[in-house]
Formats: sequence, C-alpha cells, structure tokens
Amino acid sequence: MSDTLNINNSVVDLVKGDYTDMEIESIVYYAQNDLKLGSGFGNAISMRGGPSIQDELNKFGEAETTDVVVTAGGELKTRHILHAVGPKFQEEYLSDKLKKTIHNCLKKAEEKGIKTIAFPPMGCGFYGVALEVSADIMFKTFEEYLSGDTSIEKIVICLNDNREFIPFHERLNKNS
Amino acid sequence: MSSNNRSHKAELVIERLGKKLNRQIVGSLAACVHCGMCTDSCHYVLANPDDPTYAPAYKADKIRKVFKKHYDWTGKVLPDWVGAKSLYTDEELEELRDIVFGKCTNCRRCSINCPMGVDFATFNRMTRGLLVNVGIMPEGVAVVSKDQWEIGNQMGVLKEDYIDTVEWMSDELVDEVNDPKAAIPIDKEDAKVVYSINPREVKYDPRTIADAAKIFYAAGEDWTMPSEGWDMTNFGLFSGDDDLGGAVGRRLYEKVEQLDGKKLVISECGHGYRSTRCEAQNWGQTDVNFKMESSVETMLDYIKEGRIKVDKAKNDSSYTYHDSCNFARSCGMTEEPRELLNLVVDDFREMYPNRGENYCCTGGGGAMSMSEYTPQRLKSAKVKADQLAATGAKFVVTSCHNCVDGLSDLIKHYKLDMEVTQLVNLVADALIIEEKVPVVEEVAPVEVPAEAVEEAPAEVLNGYSFLVTDDEPDMVVFLSTVLEDNGATVFKAHNGDEAMDIARKEKIDLMTLDIHMPGKSGREVFEEFRNDDDLKDVPICIITGRPELRSLIYDRPVPPPEGYMDKPVSEDDLIKNMKKILKVRS
Ligand code: SF4
Ligand code: SF4
Repeated sequence: MSDTLNINNSVVDLVKGDYTDMEIESIVYYAQNDLKLGSGFGNAISMRGGPSIQDELNKFGEAETTDVVVTAGGELKTRHILHAVGPKFQEEYLSDKLKKTIHNCLKKAEEKGIKTIAFPPMGCGFYGVALEVSADIMFKTFEEYLSGDTSIEKIVICLNDNREFIPFHERLNKNS
Repeated sequence: MSSNNRSHKAELVIERLGKKLNRQIVGSLAACVHCGMCTDSCHYVLANPDDPTYAPAYKADKIRKVFKKHYDWTGKVLPDWVGAKSLYTDEELEELRDIVFGKCTNCRRCSINCPMGVDFATFNRMTRGLLVNVGIMPEGVAVVSKDQWEIGNQMGVLKEDYIDTVEWMSDELVDEVNDPKAAIPIDKEDAKVVYSINPREVKYDPRTIADAAKIFYAAGEDWTMPSEGWDMTNFGLFSGDDDLGGAVGRRLYEKVEQLDGKKLVISECGHGYRSTRCEAQNWGQTDVNFKMESSVETMLDYIKEGRIKVDKAKNDSSYTYHDSCNFARSCGMTEEPRELLNLVVDDFREMYPNRGENYCCTGGGGAMSMSEYTPQRLKSAKVKADQLAATGAKFVVTSCHNCVDGLSDLIKHYKLDMEVTQLVNLVADALIIEEKVPVVEEVAPVEVPAEAVEEAPAEVLNGYSFLVTDDEPDMVVFLSTVLEDNGATVFKAHNGDEAMDIARKEKIDLMTLDIHMPGKSGREVFEEFRNDDDLKDVPICIITGRPELRSLIYDRPVPPPEGYMDKPVSEDDLIKNMKKILKVRS
C-alpha cells in the first residue's frame, strides 16, 4: 500500500502531522464566511503566523461558500494561505459545494503560480463531513483537475492521526 | 425549507434523532409519569422556584414531544393526549439550544432521583449532539470543539507551548529538589506510567504539573508525559458529539500504545476521567490494552505502599471536599479522594449532601465555556454556595479542573471566604522529601564580609517593564511591590484610560489587568489592546475573580489573555505566572 498517487504529471501525497507547521509553498485553511481565523487550525495559524494574516483577510470582508481568497503566510513556514470557504454542518448540496471549493483552491493556486499545496481533510471533524466522503470528493476533484493541463506539481493531504489517515490511505490505494 | 415546510436543519435533527434511539434513551423518553420527584433535585429549580421551565421534566418534554411525534406509536394514535409535536424552524432549534445548553449542566442529579429510571441528562446530551451536528450551539462550544478537533486539545495549546511549559516545570523542580533525576521525561518509551493532563494546567495552572511531577519523583516512579495526545479532557462529553468524543479518546489511547506505556494515569478531572476511562472506547469503537486510573488512586497507592511520605501538619487549614458530578455520581469515585484527603490534612469537614447526592459546581457540562448563560449559571449556584458556607472550611478541595473554575466563580460571586484547591496540590505540599545535598570538595574557609552573608535576592524580572492596572489602590501597591522586589520596572494605572495612555507612551513587556473597574472596564481595555496595531502583542495577565473572564478565554472575540489569576494572589504565584508568560527561566 502506497502513500503516494501519481496523476498525469502531478503527485498526491499523504502525510501525518500538523500542516500549519509545515514547510511548504502553500496551505489550505477551511475558512468561515466572515474570514475570521477563529479557533482550531485558525488559532494555530494566527499564533504561529502572527497578526498580519488576519489583517490581510479583513480587507476582503466576507466571502461566499466555495470562494477562495489568498493571503501571505506571515511568519508561518508557508508562503501562501488559500482560505477556502467550504460548506458546513450538513448544509444543502454539500458534496457539490465541497467539490467546487476544492476545485477553486486548485484554480486559485494555479492563477497565483503556486505549484505545491497542503490540504487538511476538507470539511472533516468540526464541520462534520465524514472522512470517507471527504476523501472520495478530494481524490475525485484532484483526478479531474490534474488530468488536464496544469502547472500544479504536488498536493499533500495532511492528516492528524491514524483515525484520519486510514480512510484516506484506503481511498488513495483504491485508485492506484 | 423542504416540501413539508420544515427547515433543512429541523429535518436533519428529526432524522438523526431516529438513529440515536437505543433502549436506554427510548426507556427514558417513554417512562416519565410526570410525578415531579426529580424537580427539587435540580440546582436550577432551587434557584428559580417560580419558573417551571427549569424543571427537569419540563425540559425533557421539549425533546420528548418530538420523539412522540415521529418515533413512538402513542404519538401516532393519540398525538394531543401525549403532547406529540414536531419541530419546523431554525428558531425552534435555537430555543431548544438555550434549554439543553443553558438550563442543564448534565449533572445527572435528577437522573438518580427518578423512581422510573428516567436519565434526563443522557438524552439532554444526545439533543446537544443533534444540534451540534447542524451547527446550532453556543459560540464557546464551537470554539472549544474546533480547537479539540483540530489542535488536539480544548484550549488550542500548541505543541511548542505545551513542551515549553512542561520543560519549564521540569527545570523548576530539578532546582527545587536539587536533583537532575527529577526532570520530567517526555515521550519515554516503555514507561510504567503515562501521565495525561487537562490543557487548563498548561495554560493557566502549571503548578499542578509541577506538583504531580514532584509526587512521581518522590515515589521513584518510572513515568512519562507524551509530547502529543496528552489531553485527557473530552469536549465530546459536553457537546454530545460522539464522533469528537471517539476521536479525542483514540488520539490519547494511540499515543500510549505507541509509547508502549503500561498504565495511563489521568490527572484530576471529572469529565476527563469519565470520558477517557468509561466512554471514549465506546464512542471511538476501540479497545485498549493498558490499565487506566485516576491520579487520585495513584497518589493514594503511593502513600499506602509507603512509596511517598507525607506530613499532614503541613496542610494546617480547614478543608471540605466537593464531589464532581462526573467523578462521583457517574463513576462512583467517592471514597478514594476522601481517604487521600484524610491522609494529607488534619481538619476535613464533610459537606452535605455529598457523594452521589452532591450538587453540581454549576460549571459542569461545558457551562464554563458558554458565557451567554453566565447570569443564570451563577444564580443557580446559590445552593452550592450555601453548602460550601455551611462547612465553615477555608478550602474546598475538588478532583476536577472544571469544578475548580466553577467553584472559583461562585465563591467570588457569593463573596465566600474560601479558596479552591486540588488533591495534587495538597499531596505535594505535604510531601517529605530529603533534599539532595551536592557533594562539594572541602576547601579552606574564606572570610566573607558580614553584609554579603545574606543571600542577595534573585531579581528574576530584571529588565522587564510591567503595567499594573487595577482600581483597588491596595492591589496596585501589592502587585507593584512584588514585581519591583523582583527587579521589574512598574508603571501603575488605576483605571482603563490611564492604562491606555501609559501603554501608548512607554514600552511595556506585560500588563496585569483587573476586569471590574469603574469607567472603562478591563474587558474594554483588553479588547482595545488586542485591536490596536501597536499594542496587540503586549502579553496580558488578567487578575480578577469575575466570571466575565471566561468569555475572553472561551468565546475569543480576540486572542485570549496569556494568563489569568484569581484574586487573592500570592507572591509566589504572581512571580511564577509572570515568568511563565515572559518565558523567563530562573
Ligand atoms: S423524570 Fe422521573 S422523577 Fe422526574 S417527573 Fe418524570 S418520572 Fe417523575
Ligand atoms: S441533569 Fe442536573 S442540571 Fe440537568 S436537569 Fe437534571 S438536575 Fe438539573
């Protein structure tokens, strides 16, 4: 069983750890509509990255679900943060919105010339998307997007622990 | 809205209710005969005797009617007779939120007083879970849940801050006992004891970590603290989210297994003990292959087995014991803490009623994180305040961090002359440790000038500037004197405006801040600092006893304070806290 999946000329990797402390070109934050970093990973981003990230976000005001806005990484070990406003708490048309949010992350990264992105398990945990559902939508969206012409070279899905890692690992290996 | 005019969220709540029904829940939902025997067992009812909406059976009926409507045959045959009614709007869900989160601490006192075996607390918790699942919950519950899901602990403590605090406590202990073997081992494999704690200890009460370490050291224990998966608290118990409960438990268990630890010891925390020891294996659908116990049992065994020696004369005040609902009523841990307490203090005074019948500290069920319900929480605490006052004790001891906060708030609110402490503090204070004297080579005596014989005070805060803000002149004098005696430069402000003026002119390394001040309140000053580009990075230690503090910690309208202390403040605790915030090692 592998932790890596090659799609066309790009690669998707699974790793375990805290992605807000990762040395990588960009990370995705599952943001709220008011673009306040808040608690959880948002707390880690503001504590480790400093106040400039929220200051930059304040200039955008509010965002719609599936929107993605980009800020610098402040003092984090990443250069860019893609703040992706994903669907929450079993809201209507959740799967479609989640897919669109992930697709928009890739599109926005491409626009900004970003080649490497770290994702958390999108929508899982607090916002209630099941790990298996998130894994399936994430991989499907990556496969569709990366099969075309893209400058994105590498995607890393960063999982907190075995409970999160195993369903993603199983889904990745279903493909390879 | 769906075709039947029901909101999407209401639809989901009703659907999920069906999936949550098991024999225990259905039994409780069906069995109530409205006899009212549970009514006076609830602290909310006692504080609001003329308001029937606080009665357990009334609150239960708000959930029961939905069950009757959708899942019980009686509701289909005689809907009006049994009060069957559906839910339609998000507003109704919000009303339900204010009942299940705001009018019940899930203390289970009504449950044990029901002759029909109705366990209201269990289905109240289930209802919380149904609402959380659709995103309807108090702000503080959302903040804490997200922290625990994503950072792995309830207070969003980052790994580096946790390690830093543990290492700092370790250094202090090594210095205190003068023995490098007293250092706290982190991530030691194959240890006999893996010690898990509450994030409150890291963030606001590191002394409990140092005290536990001192006890393990004195017992000669082979122990360790994990670098990750160290939080034994579990907000899933409070929020009703079984998925969170399972995820938290599994993270903790996995770490013990990875370290090949033989026993998981859970520091004093009622809900942490109940979740970790009794519930999380079920929520997380997992088994564990190691033993788990409360640190109360561990400490008791050390004394009984002669592994540590204690002198109860060192704790020479008067003490009573508060039974945490989760520890005592739900887990039966009533005798062990009393036995231990009697071994480390002379003057123990029982509180009545006690053990399984004890009243909640009123901060249970996650209530400390729900600042919108603070007034009704404190009002409901009257019965607890009366219980405490009747003992005449100077200290209330409790084996729960949540109860420490709940009791501290009510002691201040009802102006009781009492302090809160835990067994770990009392055992550590009573310890008899022979100090290791370093072996030094004999050297010829040198004549020392008389004035140099007295040791110069260690000026640990030399070079740091403090701003002390408090409207009580005595408090300003006390704090400034202690800080100045330790080498600090101190600026003094007696109200919020003065504090803002000084902070804008001077370079401040840390501000101590009272919450309750005339004019601009401490809360306003705090938020102004946090929203000011030049001042937002100044660390702030709130020194108060006011419950408003909790909303700054849990709701986090702006980043939380770096520290807080309850008044009255001791000299020793003040310096310890200032050093922790400034990361000053002695
Ligand atoms: S819950 Fe039990 S004690 Fe309370 S009213 Fe119903 S039957 Fe009576
Ligand atoms: S569980 Fe406790 S707080 Fe809730 S209704 Fe029963 S007695 Fe009151």
